[in-house]
Amino acid sequence: MRLLVFAVLSAALMVVDARLSVLQPLRSQLGLIVEPVYWLGRLPVTLWDGATQELSSRSELAAENEKLKAESLMLQRRLQKLAALTEQNVRLRELLNSSALVDDDVLATELIGIDPNPFTHRILIDKGSKDGVLLGQPVLDARGLMGQVVEVMPYTSRVLLLTDTTHSIPVQVNRNGLRAIASGTGNPERLELRHVADTADVKEGDLLLSSGLGQRFPAGYPVAVVTEVIHDSGQPFAIVRAMPTANLNRSRYMLLVFTDPRSPEQRASDSAEAQEAADRQAREQAAGASPATLAAPAAASDAPVTSPTTAAEPRQ
Amino acid sequence: MIALRARNVWVIWLSLALALLLSVATLPKFMEVGRPLWLALFLTYWVLALPHRVGMTTAWCVGLLADVLNGTLLGQNALILTLVTFLVLSLHQRLRMFPMWQQSMVLLVVFGLAQLVQLWLNALTGSRPPTLAFVLPALVSALLWPWVCVILRGVHKRLSVN
Repeated sequence: MRLLVFAVLSAALMVVDARLSVLQPLRSQLGLIVEPVYWLGRLPVTLWDGATQELSSRSELAAENEKLKAESLMLQRRLQKLAALTEQNVRLRELLNSSALVDDDVLATELIGIDPNPFTHRILIDKGSKDGVLLGQPVLDARGLMGQVVEVMPYTSRVLLLTDTTHSIPVQVNRNGLRAIASGTGNPERLELRHVADTADVKEGDLLLSSGLGQRFPAGYPVAVVTEVIHDSGQPFAIVRAMPTANLNRSRYMLLVFTDPRSPEQRASDSAEAQEAADRQAREQAAGASPATLAAPAAASDAPVTSPTTAAEPRQ
Repeated sequence: MIALRARNVWVIWLSLALALLLSVATLPKFMEVGRPLWLALFLTYWVLALPHRVGMTTAWCVGLLADVLNGTLLGQNALILTLVTFLVLSLHQRLRMFPMWQQSMVLLVVFGLAQLVQLWLNALTGSRPPTLAFVLPALVSALLWPWVCVILRGVHKRLSVN
């Protein structure tokens, strides 16, 4: 009898939890207990890591230091080029009259736990709603996209990784802009591109970037590298396998990306309004300048574009 | 009949908290597939030893906590642990008479059933392990039962929990 009551109660809870969001607040409050438990559960590992670090020899540390310095130098070099490229990109975009690329805000976070179920790829991170984490927020590591936040608790959140069988992400081949959807396979080192035509131009070694089409992930972050393309005449689509660029099962520190919270429609209307305002201003300036001197229409139309800084720049 | 006064009940709760902790503790990758069902093991011991103190209500509450901890649907682990407790309760007169290895055999079946329900519920929410590996935890738990039983009985008798 009591079993029946509890079984019905559990089933009802499961349905409500899966279909409605009524239990969300309760869940996130109960989530407060999660962090200390995971912290205690990790304690042996943390202590062991600490001990090995204390006891690791001087030469090892020196070697690591050397390696990090070399890596830092490489990154610095790339950064130098990046500054010039960013500048150039902004100028080209201005020429094309398209919206500026906005640099996303990020928040660093640390891994504190891994889902005990080995068949799901989910991790726990040490930032939660108190730090402004939102549901569906993308998570990156130093090499690429890792996944998205699926549950937010006050001080922790759960992240679903790209390789979970229930996860898919819209991507684009960097070389030619071909769009596809990369789905997780349950293997931490493999993604599969779904429904890619047999004749599509995808090659081994192609870099896949997030396309930003799902309105969930920001565009332009590396996702995976194609490792295998199989053309099987018995299959309706080509089989394309890719390896995530992020270290999904090794990264300890991650970044949470804060993208524009506005909806796409709102963003479009905002940018249209801004454009209109700019046009109106340009027209007004042109109108204000034309009665003054009829002989200088060229100078008037130049006026909104030629700011002192661009005029003073001798580059190019 | 002697009145059954609650004594040192905190030990039960402490042990269940320990089981919760063990169920999320970090394990090496290759051992994760066979992670023992600590909660089910500990609950089984207390249900067998003190059926008047620990029952389905306890199992359900602990199961809910496990759900929060694992991020599964609320009620999933609760249902499974209630089921395990129910089976153990209905078998407990017989189970207490059995020698240890026979208890292990019976519990293997009980835990196997629990894992099967777990698999069904997981399949409903979309994630499904591709192999038979989901029965491994039941096997490991059944093998661990004698040790868990001996240790918990030691604690039980030493602190005369009632």
